[in-house]
Amino acid sequence: MSELATPAPDTIISASTPATTRTGDLGAPLYVAWQITNECNLACLHCIEESGPGKKFKDELADERVFDVLAQLMDAEVPYLSFSGGEPMVHPRFFDMVEFVCARKGELKIETNGHFLTAENCERLKHADVKAVQVSLDGASRETFNKMRVLGEFNRAVEGLRNLRAAGVPIEINYSPTRFNAHEIGKAVDLAFELGAYSFYTGRTMYTGNAVKTWHKMAPSEEQYETYFAMLHAKADEYRGRMRVHFHEMGLLEELRYRLHNPAALLIVLPNGLVKLINALPFVCGDLRQQSLTEIWSNFQRAWRDPRVAQFVEDLAVDPGRTRTLHQWVHL
Amino acid sequence: MQLAKYVKFREEKFGGVLFETRSEKVFTLNPTATAVVREIAAGGGEREIASRLKDRFADADGTIEREVTAFIADLRQKGLLEG
Repeated sequence: MSELATPAPDTIISASTPATTRTGDLGAPLYVAWQITNECNLACLHCIEESGPGKKFKDELADERVFDVLAQLMDAEVPYLSFSGGEPMVHPRFFDMVEFVCARKGELKIETNGHFLTAENCERLKHADVKAVQVSLDGASRETFNKMRVLGEFNRAVEGLRNLRAAGVPIEINYSPTRFNAHEIGKAVDLAFELGAYSFYTGRTMYTGNAVKTWHKMAPSEEQYETYFAMLHAKADEYRGRMRVHFHEMGLLEELRYRLHNPAALLIVLPNGLVKLINALPFVCGDLRQQSLTEIWSNFQRAWRDPRVAQFVEDLAVDPGRTRTLHQWVHL
Repeated sequence: MQLAKYVKFREEKFGGVLFETRSEKVFTLNPTATAVVREIAAGGGEREIASRLKDRFADADGTIEREVTAFIADLRQKGLLEG
């Protein structure tokens, strides 16, 4: 039940999570996470992509190529896609892209800051039949949320969540801990449930992107993390069967060491069409401006085995600060 | 009987995969299981599927029929089937 392979003769079904899937056996990825633009209306302290107003890449994919790539993904029967950013809802063709995927029965998740979730937009997302909308809610109060999400407004995000619920769109919540919001995690899980979420995700905040500049005033201490995860264990029990409370206690290094041997069947697509192995590494295994999805997928396994990848991961053990270089892409 | 709303099925060289996109779990299928899921996706009933596969795989001792029944029960138990 743990590996992707032809099961033993007496086995009818075997199961695994994407993380343990032997991706080389698959004809295409199972999940594509597409950062459709780097533009954002907010300038969050921890933003891994350093997104913000005016941060759209100069070379973001042209519309024609965007829809060509979407068609390739649908033709390859990639079962699960997500659109994130930046803020995906500021992309001028956002709804066209959503409707393109959903009309072809793709399962699509939107990862948003929630500031454009008007009643009308939520109805449109419901009508398209998106799988879920994940909203970042980094705080259970206006004070902490607005401190973290520079230019953001807690009440607007909460109103967006209420609009999603009213429209009947499945809701997920994402929460990034900092030293000034970690203590609110219990209240945040309760709020997520009250707002109708079916899943709540969190983990350790990464030292990369904007967080490199703000780490000194933002990073939670190990003691805070201990309390944080203890509360999450309690909340996971409390909401079992009603809302999934999902969290990664593993640090980045352990996670990457694991992935070296068990790459997820996942491609990360950047706004300019470059394809990364995983968000937490700087390595690029393809370019959708010049290559097909099939070519990139066949390069994916080889790229994970490139010695530079393992070396980078081991260098992190010596200097965890190397994550500051994640945007200095290395083409494999 | 049909695959649950958030379950996606894709055929692969080794058989197939079922992806439950809400829990983000992947279930890998051998060729027999893939044949069953293909029939489910096409809209077949449990008895009908067992009977068709029994003929197709020349199942003399009833092994296929038992496996199909057990497999469908497993799919239901995992929440991958509805109806």
